[in-house]
Amino acid sequence: MAVAIAAGRVWRPNRGLSQQQQFSSLDDKPQFPGASAEFIDKLEFIQPNVISGIPIYRVMDRQGQIINPSEDPHLPKEKVLKLYKSMTLLNTMDRILYESQRQGRISFYMTNYGEEGTHVGSAAALDNTDLVFGQYREAGVLMYRDYPLELFMAQCYGNISDLGKGRQMPVHYGCKERHFVTISSPLATQIPQAVGAAYAAKRANANRVVICYFGEGAASEGDAHAGFNFAATLECPIIFFCRNNGYAISTPTSEQYRGDGIAARGPGYGIMSIRVDGNDVFAVYNATKEARRRAVAENQPFLIEAMTYSPSPILPPDPHSREPTLTWGPLPLCRIGHHSTSDDSSAYRSVDEVNYWDKQDHPISRLRHYLLSQGWWDEEQEKAWRKQSRKKVMEAFEQAERKPKPNPNLLFSDVYQEMPAQLRKQQESLARHLQTYGEHYPLEHFDK
Amino acid sequence: MAFVAAAAGCLLRLRAAGAERHWRRFRGVGLARGFLHPSATVEDAAQRRQVAHFTFQPDPEPREYGQTQKMNLFQSITSALDNSLAKDPTAVIFGEDVAFGGVFRCTVGLRDKYGKDRVFNTPLCEQGIVGFGIGIAVTGATAIAEIQFADYIFPAFDQIVNEAAKYRYRSGDLFNCGSLTIRSPWGCVGHGALYHSQSPEAFFAHCPGIKVVIPRSPFQAKGLLLSCIEDKNPCIFFEPKILYRAAAEQVPIEPYNIPLSQAEVIQEGSDVTLVAWGTQVHVIREVASMAKEKLGVSCEVIDLRTIIPWDVDTVCKSVIKTGRLLISHEAPLTGGFASEISSTVQEECFLNLEAPISRVCGYDTPFPHIFEPFYIPDKWKCYDALRKMINY
Repeated sequence: MAVAIAAGRVWRPNRGLSQQQQFSSLDDKPQFPGASAEFIDKLEFIQPNVISGIPIYRVMDRQGQIINPSEDPHLPKEKVLKLYKSMTLLNTMDRILYESQRQGRISFYMTNYGEEGTHVGSAAALDNTDLVFGQYREAGVLMYRDYPLELFMAQCYGNISDLGKGRQMPVHYGCKERHFVTISSPLATQIPQAVGAAYAAKRANANRVVICYFGEGAASEGDAHAGFNFAATLECPIIFFCRNNGYAISTPTSEQYRGDGIAARGPGYGIMSIRVDGNDVFAVYNATKEARRRAVAENQPFLIEAMTYSPSPILPPDPHSREPTLTWGPLPLCRIGHHSTSDDSSAYRSVDEVNYWDKQDHPISRLRHYLLSQGWWDEEQEKAWRKQSRKKVMEAFEQAERKPKPNPNLLFSDVYQEMPAQLRKQQESLARHLQTYGEHYPLEHFDK
Repeated sequence: MAFVAAAAGCLLRLRAAGAERHWRRFRGVGLARGFLHPSATVEDAAQRRQVAHFTFQPDPEPREYGQTQKMNLFQSITSALDNSLAKDPTAVIFGEDVAFGGVFRCTVGLRDKYGKDRVFNTPLCEQGIVGFGIGIAVTGATAIAEIQFADYIFPAFDQIVNEAAKYRYRSGDLFNCGSLTIRSPWGCVGHGALYHSQSPEAFFAHCPGIKVVIPRSPFQAKGLLLSCIEDKNPCIFFEPKILYRAAAEQVPIEPYNIPLSQAEVIQEGSDVTLVAWGTQVHVIREVASMAKEKLGVSCEVIDLRTIIPWDVDTVCKSVIKTGRLLISHEAPLTGGFASEISSTVQEECFLNLEAPISRVCGYDTPFPHIFEPFYIPDKWKCYDALRKMINY
């Protein structure tokens, strides 16, 4: 089919097949519209290379030391501190909200443990007006863009301050002024949407890039294939950012794909691709920065696959530490948490696996090592910041708990821009129903 | 799924080497030539392909919108798209094969006029087309997506139902994709069989957040399509493909709007209400004439036009007057949109009903090829059902 359609472009339509092109007999080059390639007369299948896959770009070693000085982004102190504080504040918020779900205060939660580096590293490399399409584990991007704790909590509690008007499960954040498109649960649906938004940005000469985050599991969806192919053929300024944390709920990557991860797929679509160490904030930063520059300048897509590890249960506090509970200290990494609060990953993860990552690597500890070695941070500041960030989170948390939920009338609005007559009738019928049966409903928690 | 075929007299897209030869030859000729013409080489009349099951009835020339021109359905679509791209610099049209003019010629000339960044082909991927369109609309630009046949809209079902329809609601109105319109050829065409004849409006009727619109004629199509494009909600616009060439009438050259969610009483009557949309409106119009002539029965004929949100008031008002309702659509009976209308009307107008509400629809089968004449809810089936209602 593609041959037939493409043929119309290459062959002059009004000639008919009687007048074929004359090939010089000794120069037998292929003329197929579908591929630009030479002939080969030896039967040979291309062997996919999964033993030594696409190499993983990193800037810092596990002790936070720059490996290759020419790759050092030389970020100013303020920016690196912002990176650090965003990650740690997110981590603190995650711990508290995870706990609050276990205690039945919110219905659901997803932590970002171990992936904080992918969020802030990439967010720091973008312009604040670059549009973000996320999956559901990118709260660090919002955190970096200074989304207030109050609003994170409001969405999780579905309270009267929630800009989403209480309609979605926790962690489905959205923020128009920070250019973060509201999260939706279906996986990978955001991918072709992000491509469309990038196309519109290109047409508008906006000098904006669109970034689209997704996990390695979501990359198996048809929408991912659709998005990659459209981005390449329609020449869109978009960064595809895949967080590969090794697991999609309980499914390890060995059951998710057989090729060399997601980065290897990029070239199949004609997309510039790279694999980076997701625990290395500077590597994530550098790759995103360069991808952004070129995506906008050249109107082409870029694919970044950031490797991290998937979390596990929160480990009990270090018995030797004098800190009370809830520190991020030497903490386990990677999707160190469960997939979500509906998940118990001890069922599919071995303790050894988790402990290795725990002790070896984490974006927060790596960056802290860097900060310490630069003389930009010390134990005093660390202690003070832990206290301060915990206090901020607890205050926002307590406030969010106290606020009422939105008025039940908000169940009915925004289905369409205008409310259809039939829906208004349904809204009125609920109002009448509540007048008689209101005692059976939790009206006291809702705004009047 | 994406096993669609381009058209050339028959609806199968040709593959392999010989394909482009046919493709080039029929490209200039256009699709529908083969639709309603009996084959010239077949002598046996019994084997000739059926003539159409309806007669297109043009509406009187509209006077209030300025100069008109005779246009068929695909030309009226082109005109609406032309108007849209002219006045809205953000508007873009995309889908499979739209660049050369589209398999039904709806986009002919638009790429030359507006540029390749505004009228362009996409890869063959419906979920991508709709997802991409949503993304354009999220930025506020106008996205006009084409799905080549409504039969192939299903890969995009998730994007339409889970994403487009819910964008505004789930974000608390922070984001929306209201400037998305999806257009798609729809309905029986005489020989389309399972995958070139479907009417999937019922699947989408069950989805709050989108609008579904189906015109009966070129004049209606242009006004309704312009309203869909300008509407601040994602819309699906189904185009009865059998009417692309068969329906021609005077259509204003300038843009105009026909409101959504408003049914039209195209003929007043007192004894029975007939409701349909798209091609079937012409069938029930003819049934109304038959009823008048043979039974002395006066029918009120309603074109629903918008499937959701639908105009309950106009239909109920009519049934309160007549006491009898017949709804007809090509789509299968069970779960078809007639069931929604029937259910609502009996709730609202129970005591006014003189007879059970009648639905004359396709059978609960996939849309057959050779059996199409038996499958479709033609005027005889509608007439028979009407007669039974009158005699109830």
